[in-house]
Amino acid sequence: MDLSYSPEDLAFRADVRRWFEANTPRHELGTLDERKTWHRQLYDAGHVGMGWPRQYGGRGATPMQQAIVADEMARVNAPPTINGLGIGIVGPTIIVHGTEAQKQRYLKKILAAEELWCQLYSEPNAGSDLASLKTRADDKGEHFEVTGQKIWTSGGLIADWGLLLARTDPTVPKHKGISCFLLNMRQPGVEVRPLKQITGSAHFSEVFMTEARVEKSDLIGRLGQGWEIAQTTLSYERGGNSLARVTRYASAVNQLVKAARELSRGGRPLIDDPLVRTKMGRIYAELEVQRYAALRVLSALQKGEAPGPASSITKLSYSEFEKRMHELAQEILGPWGQVTAGAPDDFSEVDTSSGEPGTWATAFLWSRAGTIYAGSSEIQKNVIGERVLGLPKEPRADRTKA
Amino acid sequence: MDFAFNQDQQLLKSSARAFLDEHCQSALVRALGDDPRGESEAMWKDMAQLGWLGLALPETYGGSGLGMVETAIVLEEMGRAAYPGPYFPTMLAAGAVALAGSAEQKSRWLPAIATGSARATVAFLDAQLDWEPSASATGAAKTAGGWTLTGAKHFVPWAHVADVLLVPARGPEGLSLFLVDPAAPGLKLTPVTGMDLGTRWTSLALDGVPVRADALLGDSGQAAALLARLLRRGAVGAAAEMLGAARRCLDMSVAYAKVREQFGQPIGSFQAIRHRCAEMLLEVENSHAATYYAAWAIDAGAEDEALAASVAKAYVGEAARRVCGEAIQVHGGIGFTWEYDLHLYFKRAKALEPMYGDADYHRELIVRHVAG
Repeated sequence: MDLSYSPEDLAFRADVRRWFEANTPRHELGTLDERKTWHRQLYDAGHVGMGWPRQYGGRGATPMQQAIVADEMARVNAPPTINGLGIGIVGPTIIVHGTEAQKQRYLKKILAAEELWCQLYSEPNAGSDLASLKTRADDKGEHFEVTGQKIWTSGGLIADWGLLLARTDPTVPKHKGISCFLLNMRQPGVEVRPLKQITGSAHFSEVFMTEARVEKSDLIGRLGQGWEIAQTTLSYERGGNSLARVTRYASAVNQLVKAARELSRGGRPLIDDPLVRTKMGRIYAELEVQRYAALRVLSALQKGEAPGPASSITKLSYSEFEKRMHELAQEILGPWGQVTAGAPDDFSEVDTSSGEPGTWATAFLWSRAGTIYAGSSEIQKNVIGERVLGLPKEPRADRTKA
Repeated sequence: MDFAFNQDQQLLKSSARAFLDEHCQSALVRALGDDPRGESEAMWKDMAQLGWLGLALPETYGGSGLGMVETAIVLEEMGRAAYPGPYFPTMLAAGAVALAGSAEQKSRWLPAIATGSARATVAFLDAQLDWEPSASATGAAKTAGGWTLTGAKHFVPWAHVADVLLVPARGPEGLSLFLVDPAAPGLKLTPVTGMDLGTRWTSLALDGVPVRADALLGDSGQAAALLARLLRRGAVGAAAEMLGAARRCLDMSVAYAKVREQFGQPIGSFQAIRHRCAEMLLEVENSHAATYYAAWAIDAGAEDEALAASVAKAYVGEAARRVCGEAIQVHGGIGFTWEYDLHLYFKRAKALEPMYGDADYHRELIVRHVAG
């Protein structure tokens, strides 16, 4: 056991830090073009798709190097890459399950953000129970024809392509009748409508597909393999960004400490109020524990260990922590915590882990999303219970029924 | 960067597990609960043979020169077994001698401790039960040949079997730490019985206890920093033991939930139980990360050593409380019976919760790190 960073890691971090200090945009990126330009700059510097194999345009970087870059980006609050789902999920799925032709066709353009991607998984009636999805992909001989509705599609409005789960065989048990496709979003059969969240912005969308066309060559893996592929895809969403996440939390807590010096109760600064101090001490302890746990995950990844179902513990842990942290922030900030415009600097901007920059109010609202997306806390607990602790599954009628 | 135990550490862990599984079964823990001494001399000698008693002591004094991580590995297994005995207080006291002792003091105590012929403990708490080292109210008055100590100490672990007591007391030059003979005149030891079968406490009444000048550990008036260091080690060691107790409770709960049937199915198939067990695992894994991060930080002298020790104690103390409590809930009535072993671990975790500073105390230390 040795938790010190190696000299190579420290040197790498110093290089990366210099790069971000020199190159991070000083203003907020407004347009899609500006965001693409920034992405391209990150890509050229080797900060995009770092973990991808070299033959597909990645750097074959270690998990530690990836974590360091993400962490340094968080440290200066750099704008994120634009094609996060493409790079984090779609690309790795194609690398693992795709044909050589698919790899040649798609991967480079994902890295360079020449084509933007979204993920077409959830449906109005298939959330936690994703495998009950109803969108159909019918074999029309030369191509597949897709009809159905997807929801909670992040980045749907700007996406050129979507990684799609659709039912290709309704006669077999539900997990076995799903296939995975690459769907061109720029076609008449695909309509994208923005879906406004409780934050007021439209990060998500609804996607309606009516006889949309998918080429035969855009099936990923085998027919009926979609659920299996989606399981590995979901695993990529867990565990990876852990150091950067903690850095953003720490930055928020430090801003909270500043605010607690300026606000008072009963004539005494909040930071000197024993009740506030106890609560603050609890959250800070939990924050540090998140950091230690992130290092533990990173050290396992570094040794080539697959995150596996234990990554459900990480996801459950940080998302529930984030809610508690923002609840405390609201208690300390009082009404300033709810202000979406017009707050003085000390009470306005805060880093969030959501990707949506903003106020304490938006960060608080976003904290409610973390325990729902990418498998709700309840689903994570099922995974932990069944696949980590080996507890028996609940009897489920849908395991065998078509 | 490697958070996993190295080969030697894994070996230590598995041999500790095997030894305690064989020699520290619950029947022994229960039997020693009724024993006036409360510990097994045979087990102590075995632990000396295994090298546990000199684990973190310098090699020149018969130790292995290892650190807090290895000590925590053994303590976690001891928590898992609800081991009754003076292992940890002895290690803590020996560590103080190794850190601050003179060559004579080290030669007198460290080889004796490493070979299993001496036991020791630290008397942190005065009557006010304040863990802040500077709050110590026991007095040290200078005499011709040394000092006399007057005051009261409480919840001193395993003092009734100790060969030497480390007693902080305040003299004209400030807080000092003294090596005190338990048989010294003017010193009265009163056993205090707690609910944990394997925890023994003693109250000390010091009524002008004479100690010689060479009983002073470190420089006169300079003990505050040393005590703060010991408190950090105590906090991390307690976290390790609570972690072991919590993991035992979790393991027992999961095993029980797989076989106990109600409504025609194992209760572990119900989300009410399965989700509870998942939450318990989350807290146990986080406790592991917190405990061993802090142990490593102490060994490495990391700049966040003090913060990490407080985080470990604050987090693990509450996590172990919840996990061990939920274990009783998962078991239902059987978990509330004397004959079922669950309460041994539940009580061990509880006994350590207030020791070396409770969660609120350490949360305050944490806030001082963050906000001043």
